[in-house]
Amino acid sequence: MALNDAQVARFSRQLLVPGFGEAAQERLLASRVRVVGAGGVAAPALVALVQAGVGRLWLEEPEDVTPADVPGWLYSQSSVGTPRVEAAAAALGPRSRHATIGPYPVGGVPTATLVFAPSTAQALAAAEQARRAGLPHVVVEADGEGGAVVTVPPGAPCFACARSAAGAGRPPEPAVAALSALAAQELLLLVATPGTVREGRRIDLVRGVTTTRPTARLPGCSCGEGQPPASP
Amino acid sequence: MSLSAKTALVVGAGGLGGPALLTLAQGGVGRIVLVEDDAVDTSNLARQPLFDERDVGARKAGAAAARLRALFPGTAVEARDERLGPENALELARAADVLVDGSDNFATKFLASDVAVRARKPLVHGGVLRTTLQILTVAPAGLGGCLRCLFEAPPPEGAVPSCTQAGVLGTTAAFAGALMGAEALRLLAGERGAYEGRLFTFEGRAARGRLVLVRKRQGCPGCAGTVPLGGVGSAAAPREVATSRPGGPA
Amino acid sequence: MTTPAARADVRAYACPITFVKTRIALERLEPGEVLEVWLAAGEPARSVPASAAEEGHVVLGVEPLGPDAFRVYIRRAAPPAEESAPAARAAHPSPGGDEWP
Repeated sequence: MALNDAQVARFSRQLLVPGFGEAAQERLLASRVRVVGAGGVAAPALVALVQAGVGRLWLEEPEDVTPADVPGWLYSQSSVGTPRVEAAAAALGPRSRHATIGPYPVGGVPTATLVFAPSTAQALAAAEQARRAGLPHVVVEADGEGGAVVTVPPGAPCFACARSAAGAGRPPEPAVAALSALAAQELLLLVATPGTVREGRRIDLVRGVTTTRPTARLPGCSCGEGQPPASP
Repeated sequence: MSLSAKTALVVGAGGLGGPALLTLAQGGVGRIVLVEDDAVDTSNLARQPLFDERDVGARKAGAAAARLRALFPGTAVEARDERLGPENALELARAADVLVDGSDNFATKFLASDVAVRARKPLVHGGVLRTTLQILTVAPAGLGGCLRCLFEAPPPEGAVPSCTQAGVLGTTAAFAGALMGAEALRLLAGERGAYEGRLFTFEGRAARGRLVLVRKRQGCPGCAGTVPLGGVGSAAAPREVATSRPGGPA
Repeated sequence: MTTPAARADVRAYACPITFVKTRIALERLEPGEVLEVWLAAGEPARSVPASAAEEGHVVLGVEPLGPDAFRVYIRRAAPPAEESAPAARAAHPSPGGDEWP
């Protein structure tokens, strides 16, 4: 389906990036991105994804907006106590007529997954689910003002292989918005220009500076065994 | 150190300025002055987090301030619907504790650097192009260089403007703007900047980040404070000084 | 010269939409095919061919089209790999040398 004039006008600046053309934008518009966790740390990424043209944003988030989520990029004070999914949809909807935002539907098959889970156990579970389904996914580990982003294209070493050995990070600070934006970018590259990121990688962000390493399989990890994951 | 008594001056409220403003506000800065003279265009909505569909056609300064006030009621936001220029730059810089430059043209970027040096205030400079960002902090009395230490010469005469120079990934701008906001928060808290005297570049496809030293260049007119603000020779796209160029293409 | 495989009339648009649409039209062609683009005189006629050339396409010719427009023929280059670096730009090897949006 070709881009119409409204879409061309909206996404013109992206469409001018070499290597990011009509096909890339169409992939975004056709994508269904499952986001696990929609608290304050996820907010900048949610805004970026909607604005970049992700067609369907599926939020897996059972909690309400908490006082810790405000003030922030997305939730207003008046939304505290209301379900995060509803508040997010209300705040994100006006950002783009090309996006639909809602709860992750039972049985839904996403194109890609972005994980902002509040606990390591939940992050591991969500990442493993995406991996088994052969989906590209990105997992965010916030740590104070920075943290790490683990990018897993299909077939790459899993999140369990690449995650921080140090365990859970410190509570997130406002500067973590940068990490959130970076995670959104990694996700967008996986969806829009899948040839760009063929290998798994981990990007650490500490005091405003990034360090990127390719991820490697830990010996014995089940992500290296058996059948390759089904193609997305 | 509480930031509620601090003021941040942010130039531009778009792809870079928007995320910087949000990060600063969330970080608890007491007062924010934003300078922006454009109107919201549909193409802005793909990457400028302060605006939504209802803002198209509106003046950016007012729309940005309204969004910030709604999300951060505890922050004092002053919107200046004007361009940063020689007639207002010094006054604005003196009234702030930190300057954040999210502008989209070299004339303004150079002016911001010159006035930061003149007013002896720290400046977080940033730029994005396609999938690459770069950030530099110009600190008063620091060892690092200013923008003119990094860039020296004006562009070749008669260069045809290229449409592709308008290309940028929204997430690259968001990442850059948030990093700039985070740096400004550090500076306001009295910490040494992460990008003081060090140009940070990040290319998104390869996720390659680099730090390049930017020393004070001997004889730099910017550092000497001898450039007339906004005057001839202060503008336009420069060539990067050889000693400070990061290795290889961005 | 090869008969154009497609024609794009972008006279009604302003920069940079003119180039975005030209780019999209080029992307839809096979390498080696020729696109005929109708451009308004002024900025579009100047910048679109230059931008196309910068991305590796070949501008085969430019003809006037009435008093206010031009017809430009562009041969589509081989598609770059998605992960290739942006097209080299002569005097601006680093982001510092470019105009930032």
